[in-house]
Amino acid sequence: MAVTKVVMPKLSEAMESGKIIKWLKKEGDRIQGGDILAEVETDKADVEMEAFGAGVLRKILAPAGETVPVGVLIGVIAEPGDDVAALIASAPAPAPPSAAPATTSAAGAAPARAGAPALAVAAPSTPAPTPAASPRPPAVAPVPMRPSPVTSAPAAAVAAQPSGGRVKASPLAKKIAAQTGVDLRLLQGTGPGGRIVRRDVETAGAAPAAMRAVPDAEFEDRPLSQMRAAIARQMPLSKAPVPHFYVTNEVAMDRAWELREELNALEGQPKISLNDLVIRACALALLQHPGVNASFRGDAIRVFHRAHIGIAVALEEGLITPVLRDCHAKSLAQIAVESRDLAERARVRKLRAQELSGATFSISNLGMFDVAEFSAIINPPEGAILAVGSVRRVPVVDEAGLGVGRRMALTISCDHRVMDGAMGARFLQDVKRLLEEPLRLLI
Amino acid sequence: MNHKVDVAIVGTGPGGYVAAIRCAQLGLTVGVVEDDRPGGVCLNWGCIPTKALLRNAEVVSLLGRAAEFGIRLSGFEVNYAEAVQRSRRVADRMAKGVEFLFRKNKITLFPGRGTLTSKSVVEVKGTSGVETLEARAVILATGSEPKSLPGVAIDEKTVISSTGAVRNERAPKSLAIIGAGAVGVEFADVYAAYGVQVTLLEALPRIVPLEDEEVAKELTRTFTRRGITVKTGVKVASAKPGGPGLVVETDDGKLEVEQVLMAVGRAAKVTGLGLEAVGVQLERGFVKVSPLMETSVKGLYAIGDMAGAPLLAHKAMAEGVVAAESIAGRAPRPLDYGNIPSCTYCRPQIASIGSSEARAREQGRDVTVGKFPFTASGKAVALGETEGFIKVVADKATGELLGVHIVGPEATEIIHEFAVGRTLEATLEEIIHTIHAHPTLSEAALEATLAALGQAIHI
Repeated sequence: MAVTKVVMPKLSEAMESGKIIKWLKKEGDRIQGGDILAEVETDKADVEMEAFGAGVLRKILAPAGETVPVGVLIGVIAEPGDDVAALIASAPAPAPPSAAPATTSAAGAAPARAGAPALAVAAPSTPAPTPAASPRPPAVAPVPMRPSPVTSAPAAAVAAQPSGGRVKASPLAKKIAAQTGVDLRLLQGTGPGGRIVRRDVETAGAAPAAMRAVPDAEFEDRPLSQMRAAIARQMPLSKAPVPHFYVTNEVAMDRAWELREELNALEGQPKISLNDLVIRACALALLQHPGVNASFRGDAIRVFHRAHIGIAVALEEGLITPVLRDCHAKSLAQIAVESRDLAERARVRKLRAQELSGATFSISNLGMFDVAEFSAIINPPEGAILAVGSVRRVPVVDEAGLGVGRRMALTISCDHRVMDGAMGARFLQDVKRLLEEPLRLLI
Repeated sequence: MNHKVDVAIVGTGPGGYVAAIRCAQLGLTVGVVEDDRPGGVCLNWGCIPTKALLRNAEVVSLLGRAAEFGIRLSGFEVNYAEAVQRSRRVADRMAKGVEFLFRKNKITLFPGRGTLTSKSVVEVKGTSGVETLEARAVILATGSEPKSLPGVAIDEKTVISSTGAVRNERAPKSLAIIGAGAVGVEFADVYAAYGVQVTLLEALPRIVPLEDEEVAKELTRTFTRRGITVKTGVKVASAKPGGPGLVVETDDGKLEVEQVLMAVGRAAKVTGLGLEAVGVQLERGFVKVSPLMETSVKGLYAIGDMAGAPLLAHKAMAEGVVAAESIAGRAPRPLDYGNIPSCTYCRPQIASIGSSEARAREQGRDVTVGKFPFTASGKAVALGETEGFIKVVADKATGELLGVHIVGPEATEIIHEFAVGRTLEATLEEIIHTIHAHPTLSEAALEATLAALGQAIHI
């Protein structure tokens, strides 16, 4: 029967090894796909490690407290009758840390879809290492021009359908989805254990159809133009590894400020922060400017069809950027609820692995620190990051003369290999327009 | 003396003691402050002693029906004082249970009255002097007290509250109960079973006004049959000494009774706690709290009756867990206030969850309603308890369980299958695919659900 190798998963882009905090299952326990096997401490967060196969946890090879490189066998799940002696004897057989995730995730995802995991692994699929960080760019050359949705699906999508395409959703959510035409597979549940519940379907259903109608594929790879290829060759030499440029604009926030106050006076509605308005504006603008929602892939520009926005959260010991997925399809209320949840869990280091990777764009907001403006460093392989300053009351001159207005500076840092100044400026203009005519954020 | 704890909790009712135990479970040191016995109104003066009295009323009424079961009694005597004494023993036992749980969880009890001197310091004035508790977080759980009407002062002699009624060992000959909510109808049941001439006065158009209209109608019918006078849409102007004890003046004439029981609702106990000094905001007489039970002052939490409606012990307990886990950094799931069961323990019992049929229709829902009477339930007939019905209100298109309303035997136990169902977002379909054991009263839940789909078998 199925023997499932449990390996140290690669839970973030930069993760090379993980420390087992504790095993939540012990040898001899019966395991089902999706059970939490252990808690793992990574460089970024304490993460729960899910089982991808079913059977009995036959052997634990790495006890609690041990630090194990990514890809190394730490346990075996199998049926009681299965012979696992050889497998256990072969351990430790650490796979090369950089190569392991790519191969194991592909192997794990395919059988999972077929419904009978023959060789499932605990490692969620993560994007291949960024070429910018890789010393040998040709290593990523075999990336297919149109990768199949399965191998490129973000971890979240995999998690939502652990096996056999089963979607974890409440009966009511399923019925409402069937009646309103919402595809449950595209939703991220906010119920216990990521279960999709009524409100998830209702908020998705409330999003305008145009916004939800994105292609099935996660992204498309567009061939580089001659000029782009030239820029791509030249720019890293001027500022390695990612050539940044910066565009700053100032936004009149008076109307957004008022709108937010009105929204927050509504009883029973989640409290909206200024950052939620910025996230929403960026999500809408990214749909209009896919060139900004893009990543440099060495021989191609990968343009993402969905806006997965990383939200920088300051922690005492540093910074973490959890990812709010599918922002383009989320209402302001949904963004408010989910971003607060992410930030709160980021602060207590309780983020799940799939919430730490897969951003296509990031926002860093230092508004709470009374910052006039600043510029942020791009988080590769993303193509851009927006730095948000404080909303300040400043003297403004308009037709009526001298008055007081609320102003906020936005600075976008762009990867010059992906885009040029005008593209960044046009994107920023749209973000500004959305925030200055904030009713657009509610449509 | 000054004590340092992680969490100080003022009040040990169901909110306070549950919060204390949950905090202790999460590894926090806890000091609790109480100026009465642990357990609060619920254990000492509310839920628990009244359930003991209602059980007495049930036994008395069953004895009265002995012949129906082929049992010939040559007569029996009932003694109300002994019923009250029994209820006191029950309450004492439960309060001791809370004291035991405090010891087991190493929770320190500070007897006395607690007042905030800052957001993190509680001053306790006890019989043996003044102590202070300094805490990282404070949970306020002081509960509520009975309210009265203008023109009627509660003296706990002729005009009594529920607190007086549970202590009162002498039943009056005649009693007017002002307010026909849960408290009013439960005492009407108890006193009527012991031969008191009860008049139930309600200002709103029907008794148990928060329940579904059909439920109120059914209860009115059975109460009237048992000799309780039910007057609705009646406003009380005053209650003055006179006649056998009091003369109650209403807009519907005068009423002479020995005693009046005030059951018009409860008010949060928010005075004398030092709330103003630390800047805790109130809202309509209750402490304003966040979904995680934090007040407007960081690190200061409020739970239970004082933190707003519904004033129910089980809501307080659930809020206690949320506050405790929030303090321990556990990111708890906030309460779903739309999914709290409401239970009344008169006979027949009443239990409900979610929206009434009228409310669901007001909200513009296209509803389907299924109803099943206990007269058609084999178990109910065997028990000889056939009053009442189960009513299921669901969304026509999706089968969402919008509300369930039960009046009848063990209604308060049956309701939970619908509470679980609603939590899991089950629809009519999941309930009907759940096999219900036969013969049980819960089968009526299945049948009412089937009825909502036009598929009831036994009716």
